[in-house]
Amino acid sequence: MNLKPTIGMETHVELDTESKMFCSCKVVETDEPNISLCPTCLGLPGALPVPNKKAIEYIVMLSLGANCSITKEGMFHRKNYFYPDLPKNYQISQFDFPVGVEGSLEIVIEDSLHTVAIERVHMEEDTGKSIHLGSGRIDSATSTLLDFNRSGVPLVEVVTKPIISSAKMAVAYIEELRQLVIDLGISKGKLEKGNLRFDANISVAEEGSDELGVKVEIKNMNSLKSLEKAIDYEILRQTKMVQDKESIIQETRHWDENKQVTLSMRTKEGSADYRYFSDPDLPNMVINDEFIEISQNQIKETPEKKRKTLLDTGLSLSDSNYLDKGQRWLYELYLSTVKETGDCKSTFNFLTGELQGQMRKAEISELPQWLNSEKLASLINLFENNEVSFTSAKDILAKLLIEDIDPKSFASDNNLIQSSDNDEIKALVTSIINENQDIVERLENPEDKLVGYLVGQVMKSSKSKVNPGSVKEVLLKELFG
Amino acid sequence: MNRNIPSISKLNNLFLDKELKPSELFEQVYENASFTESILHAHLELFYDEGIENSKKSDERFLKGESLGKLDGIPIAIKDNINVYGYKTTCSSKMLSNYVSPYDATVIGMLKETGSTFTGKTNLDEFAMGSSTENSAYGPTKNPWNPDYVPGGSSGGSAAVVSAGSAVASLGSDTGGSIRQPASFCGVVGFKPTYGTVSRFGLIAFASSLDQIGPITNTVDDARIIFDNIQGYDPKDATSIKPEYTEPKNKKLKIGIIKELMQEGVSEDSQNEVNKVTQLLENSGHEVVETSLPLTEMALSVYYLIAPAECSANLSRFDGVRFGLREPASGSYEMMNKTRAVGFGEEVKKRILLGTYALSAGYFDEYYGRALKVRSKIISDFQKAFDDFDFLISPTTPSPAFKFGEKTENPLEMYLSDLCTIPANLAGLPAISIPTGLSNNNMPLSIQLMGKPCSDYSLLDLAESIEDMVSFNHLPKMTKGDI
Repeated sequence: MNLKPTIGMETHVELDTESKMFCSCKVVETDEPNISLCPTCLGLPGALPVPNKKAIEYIVMLSLGANCSITKEGMFHRKNYFYPDLPKNYQISQFDFPVGVEGSLEIVIEDSLHTVAIERVHMEEDTGKSIHLGSGRIDSATSTLLDFNRSGVPLVEVVTKPIISSAKMAVAYIEELRQLVIDLGISKGKLEKGNLRFDANISVAEEGSDELGVKVEIKNMNSLKSLEKAIDYEILRQTKMVQDKESIIQETRHWDENKQVTLSMRTKEGSADYRYFSDPDLPNMVINDEFIEISQNQIKETPEKKRKTLLDTGLSLSDSNYLDKGQRWLYELYLSTVKETGDCKSTFNFLTGELQGQMRKAEISELPQWLNSEKLASLINLFENNEVSFTSAKDILAKLLIEDIDPKSFASDNNLIQSSDNDEIKALVTSIINENQDIVERLENPEDKLVGYLVGQVMKSSKSKVNPGSVKEVLLKELFG
Repeated sequence: MNRNIPSISKLNNLFLDKELKPSELFEQVYENASFTESILHAHLELFYDEGIENSKKSDERFLKGESLGKLDGIPIAIKDNINVYGYKTTCSSKMLSNYVSPYDATVIGMLKETGSTFTGKTNLDEFAMGSSTENSAYGPTKNPWNPDYVPGGSSGGSAAVVSAGSAVASLGSDTGGSIRQPASFCGVVGFKPTYGTVSRFGLIAFASSLDQIGPITNTVDDARIIFDNIQGYDPKDATSIKPEYTEPKNKKLKIGIIKELMQEGVSEDSQNEVNKVTQLLENSGHEVVETSLPLTEMALSVYYLIAPAECSANLSRFDGVRFGLREPASGSYEMMNKTRAVGFGEEVKKRILLGTYALSAGYFDEYYGRALKVRSKIISDFQKAFDDFDFLISPTTPSPAFKFGEKTENPLEMYLSDLCTIPANLAGLPAISIPTGLSNNNMPLSIQLMGKPCSDYSLLDLAESIEDMVSFNHLPKMTKGDI
């Protein structure tokens, strides 16, 4: 029996608005509890919700960015359940008329493109935070502390269709979605801050079967690494159960980061009945063409567009995707630098390898003002044209990171320009051959490792001022004709 | 109108003419309250200290000729489901016996701007659920016309204080008749404005799509003055509207009598009041015709699905976690369960259960979903009716006030006392109850007028002309002397 997994993702995106979803309290990022509250987000009697227009604009942007159709006459629903950090004991959410429906996201796994179908994009409000002391769980806590700063922060939930087929694909999807909200400027997109929180619905079924298996919801995956591990674990667990003819129960499971397993979160009641109904405190949400156009005009960039731009420079899909998902400045620096070098691969390699590496080592997070694409292109051209050695290029870059220099004049002033003068090289080679007769005698063919040794000796005697490629060429000609 | 307390306009003239000081009026009203409260139990709390202080500030303003308008120095009572900063808002529930509001409702903020003073908070059926104030956790309010009778509800306290003269006017809230029915039982004017014209921010919700704050007063003009000062768009209430008030096309009005509210189930007494007023209207040249709105017969059933459904969610926030009653328990859920079991009264629990059931998976379409459909039909039926008629007339209640305990054993009969008032809530219409006569046992009777949305001011005009024509000048037993 061949089993295949099917995964659907539900992702909550915390929007980066000034104020909360239904009141004017500031959205704050702080550990100090309960400092941004009002009667509305605290669910005090008599307080009423008023929708945040900016948040609606943001969710329309996200829906458009995920290629969804926009529901022009939508509404807010109440989702009823009791929990101490849910002040009204219902969450204002959306049910059968979500803002965005039937969309898709293009994602990249290694060197191939895939599409993930999006089922819905809907608006809701976040809950407060509970800290259960003594056990970490509400039913066995000795006491529970509540922080309502997060209560009422606008959340968008993005739900995919059940069509993701592997943990890698799920990770690639989250990476794409994360980049989308960052590029749209609607969320900080920081996983470690909980700006993006995801649950996975996983089932396994026989290959070729039309029906899906029993679905299990996995929660509490706080990083892409834990997402990948949890899905892989759960697929294995379910596959083994099916093979052992055990029945899988529909349930919610918790990813245990310490034990690296998914554990059942026993729920007391059966399946929850949220008793959704249209919120009578809020009029229907009318999103007209004009509003859609305004939101559309706010979209300056999407990862898909960026990736296309990168592909157009000649980069491979995986390199394009790497830059697409990286920091914005690197993406922009690459584009302006490649324009001057005309060499996508060496520019990509130099920026993502050498530049990022040196910055990391030197703990520089921002590029110095003078280190522009013009200087970088000039440096890349220097070593690409064999005018300086790679070692010298690295030294020049190190200098550039701390001082405003011109790479070319710096190279010549410091005697770093390599010679490609064949007579000079020939003289050096001849002298090295003469000095190393014992080695020359042991050489069997041009692929011998000792050729490299001899090249190194020539370089050393020239103090790296000759081009190693030319040295090797001359050396081989001298030795093997 | 000849009543023990002059109208707001008259009082304002007395203040302006320096014949009466606001503080003297406040003292008089307070004295009335001290006399009547021990019997009526209409106020849950009296704000004497702040009231006298504020009325002295009004004295100053009138002395300097800087009065803030017609409501300056007028003592107004507030139903205890409307938040006043720094005071308890109990909703007549054990659940909120210790709850002090940290903010003002929008209407309270607006009234404070007018210079009016508050006499205190008035009794109601718990969370505004009931028609007699018998559901108050703090004991019922008595009817000033006869303390053996209920004052109606849920704004029973607000109606009784105006009737008894322990406030000049009051604010109530009306979800299915909770302003008009007690106003009728207590022989005063009760006005439910168009849904959305008066902000609900700060009114503790019973059923959000039906709740509306409005005035209970001695005269129609008093109701107009209060409405004028509390209406208007509120950015804090998403259901609030920017009203464009309408006027009828002709001076000679066309008024429809709702046939379904003039048949079996509505007492002869109540029907007679409508007939009497019809005669007077015709005498003054208006056209009054019987009309049929068949769906009004379903209004009660629709209401008892929609209102409980909304309240089941609205009352979820009372859980002991952040405010109000908290029953000790060993865990969070046990605490919430116990608190709700102890904090809510029987009627409230009954409606929460009813609403929870109506919204449950598998029952939603059959109950709540169907109720919504009928509601929208009722709305369109009224729209059609208002193509033909300027206003509609009916009794306010099927019968005059009943005695304590008379209907507590039979909830259906209790619910029927809102038969005539519920349709206006379902359709969001403005509706007013005005006293027009007395029953055989000397209890007040009223008629109700309904208008199309935003016809509030013209509805008040018509009500005022009827008020003039009927000159209802009877006084309740429980009234102290004139002012």
